[in-house]
Order: sequence, then C-alpha cells, then structure tokens
Amino acid sequence: MVSPSNRSRRLGLVLETWNRKLHYYLGLYFLLFLWLFSFTGLLLNHPRWALSRIPNEPNPPYERTIDPPIGDSDLVRAEDVMRQLGLTGEVECPPQRPGRFDFNIAIPRRAVQVRVDLAQRRATVQEIERSVWSALRISHTFSGSRYNNPTSSRDWLLTSLWVFAMDALAIGLLVMVLGSYYMWYRLKPRRTFGWIVLFAGFITCGLFVFVLGWR
Amino acid sequence: MANYFARHQRRVMAQSSGEKTLYRWTRDFHLYLGLFVSPFVIAFAVSVFFLNHAKVDTSASTTVETFHDLTIPAGLESARGREAVDRARDIVSQVGVTGEIGFVRYVPNAQRVILPVSKPGVETVVEVDVSKRAAVVSRRQTAILESIAYLHKSPGPHNADLRGNWFWTRVWRWLTDATVYLVLFVSATGLYLWFAMKAERRIGLALLGAGAVTFFGFLYGLAF
Repeated sequence: MVSPSNRSRRLGLVLETWNRKLHYYLGLYFLLFLWLFSFTGLLLNHPRWALSRIPNEPNPPYERTIDPPIGDSDLVRAEDVMRQLGLTGEVECPPQRPGRFDFNIAIPRRAVQVRVDLAQRRATVQEIERSVWSALRISHTFSGSRYNNPTSSRDWLLTSLWVFAMDALAIGLLVMVLGSYYMWYRLKPRRTFGWIVLFAGFITCGLFVFVLGWR
Repeated sequence: MANYFARHQRRVMAQSSGEKTLYRWTRDFHLYLGLFVSPFVIAFAVSVFFLNHAKVDTSASTTVETFHDLTIPAGLESARGREAVDRARDIVSQVGVTGEIGFVRYVPNAQRVILPVSKPGVETVVEVDVSKRAAVVSRRQTAILESIAYLHKSPGPHNADLRGNWFWTRVWRWLTDATVYLVLFVSATGLYLWFAMKAERRIGLALLGAGAVTFFGFLYGLAF
C-alpha cells in the first residue's frame, strides 16, 4: 500500500526528472535555430560589418506577355500574375496607378518587383538575388507582417511555417527558462548567489523595459 | 532529487580530477550566466509573439503640445547625417523629449523639420516650423509589449550612421550583444553538460538530428 505522501513525493520526483529532461531536449532540438537567431541578431545589431551588408544589385529586367490579372482584390490579382510568371513568395501591393498593376514579392533569398502594363498586357520583372548570408539575416525578420502596418498580412505558406517555427522557438525558450528557475531553486547551496545574479539580470533588463520610458 | 544527486555523484567520481573541475566549473557558469541572461531571453522571446502577430494603430497620438520661441541651431536645414542629428538634438532637448532620433527630414517648401524620436514606452514626433521657431510635439504612449518589441528591434540595421545617437541606445546595443554571446556560451556549455550524461546521449543525438533536419529544411526553402 503506497501512502498519499509517498505518492506525491514520487510524482514530484517524476516531474523534476522530466523538467530536467525537457530542458535539454528542447535545448538540443532548437540549438541550430537559437544559433541562427543569435548570429543574425549580431548582424542586425552591427550593420557596418561586411557580413551584414545586403547586396542590392538587380539582375537585368525581363518582360513577359500575360493575360489580364483576374481577381476581386490586389492580392488575388497578384497571385494570378505570379502563377503566370512562375513566381512564389510574400506579396506586397503598393497603392495602384490607373492602367498599371505593380507589386513586390519578397523571399529571403530574392526580392522581385513586378510592373504590369494592363493595356499592353506586358509584365516587367526585376529580380534582386541575395547571398546566403543576406538571406539568413533577412530570415531573422521575415514574418510577412508588420505590427505598425495594419494592411500587411502573410500570404505565403512558407512564411506561415517560418513564423510557426519562430513562435515555437520562443515558447521553447520560455519553457527552458522557467524550468531552469525551478532546477536552480532546488539546489540550496546555489540559491543565494543565484538570487544575486538573477536579480542583477532583472534590474538591468527592467531598467530598459520599465524605467526609461518614464524619464 | 536524491536520485539526481546520487547519479551526479557517481558521474563525477568516474571522472579524473581535471575533468571533475572542468565539469563543475562549466555547470556553475552555465547556471549563473544563464540566470543573469534569462530576463533578456524572456524579453526577446515574449516580444516575438508581438512582432509576429500584433497590429497597432500608430497614427493615434495620446498628447499633442506646441512650443514657441525655440532656438533653431544654425544650418539645421542643410546638415546631413550624424551632423543633422546632433543639431536636431538641441531642439529635441528644448521641447523636453529624450530618446533615439530616427532621422531628420527637412521639407523645404513648408520650412519644416520632422524628427521622429523613440524610446521604450513612448513614440514621439517633433515637427519644427523653422520660420516661426515653433514645434508641435505629438506623443504616443506604447503598451509594455510594444516597448519590449521596440527594444527587440533596437538599434536595428537601418540608418547605420545615425544609430546610437541616444546614450541608452548605445548601452542597449552593448547589452544585446552581451545577451547573444552569453546565449551562445550557455548553449555551448549546455551541449557539454548533456554530452557528459552517457545515458542521455542517444535520445539527445536523435533530437539534435531532428532539429537539424527541420532547420536545414527551412534553410533550403528560405535561403537557397
């Protein structure tokens, strides 16, 4: 017969073991993602570094004859043109001029400008190829949506999957951090110094998050 | 917990004295540096959800104030780059605004200078009428998540010549660099600590491999 106190103690041990396992399982699964975002974060922080530069040399433009774009929104029309031109990516439609239908396509490795003359049924396509380093740097911020632009939204499957991966990494990191607090707190000899460094971290970060806005 | 310490003790006893010392130092550095950097990791992780999913109306100002009799620095209209920001800082200080100046835009026809100024918690636009020596200051208070998202993006890759024109932006840049280096250190020491546990190697390698397959799958789709 197992007493209730033994049962709760055993449950506590199981939870503790799995919390520790989860800490390094998540860490191992997300390791390369974490290194990617760390490395590209440095590049974004230091735009003068040679690796941070994003080349903007366009390829020579080319023209194609297309059928008039069909659809009840700019996005649907843009997708129709992209299908005809064999292009994929995240679409951005600026305000349109009469007789024209212009839009941009973004993916980390390439930026494409499509300019359609509706009367001539001609599409002019200008592509800018990126290097792998540039594509990695762009992927750090590639979400297809800007919080300060209410009209921007994701419209490409790969962007949605990438955003899912970014969210998953963020959740994984939060679980790892919260789990690590528990593991540290259970180590009594390391509690005092742990409190000091944790407090120092929160004070430093909190200064920026909470205090600077009030000055 | 007793089981954990017993296993840990057996592991340490099986090692040579040099290995023991390295293991203990690595474990302690992993723990303490991880604890220090953890609030920054939380801030960066939480702001990811805001940056990926939020929508904010940035056109609505919370306060609008007008200031008169300002001293306009000589050559403000013609100055470029960092020099323009340094002169604009004079005006920004006169109207009681602090923060990172985004850029300086001179509108010749209207003889106006537009100065967006940002810091965590407040987005400000200072619109200076050079001929009347007056300025309209529009402020927008931001919510806590938007403040953290601002820090996540700060100082950012754009207008590299101008970035870091506010002291605290320079400090934050240093801290974000430190966060990256600490995260890299903590993850590398984490790898070592995991590898020291022989019983966890197989499943750990499987997860590392699964993560690598997912990662390179994305990399192929996005970067090649």
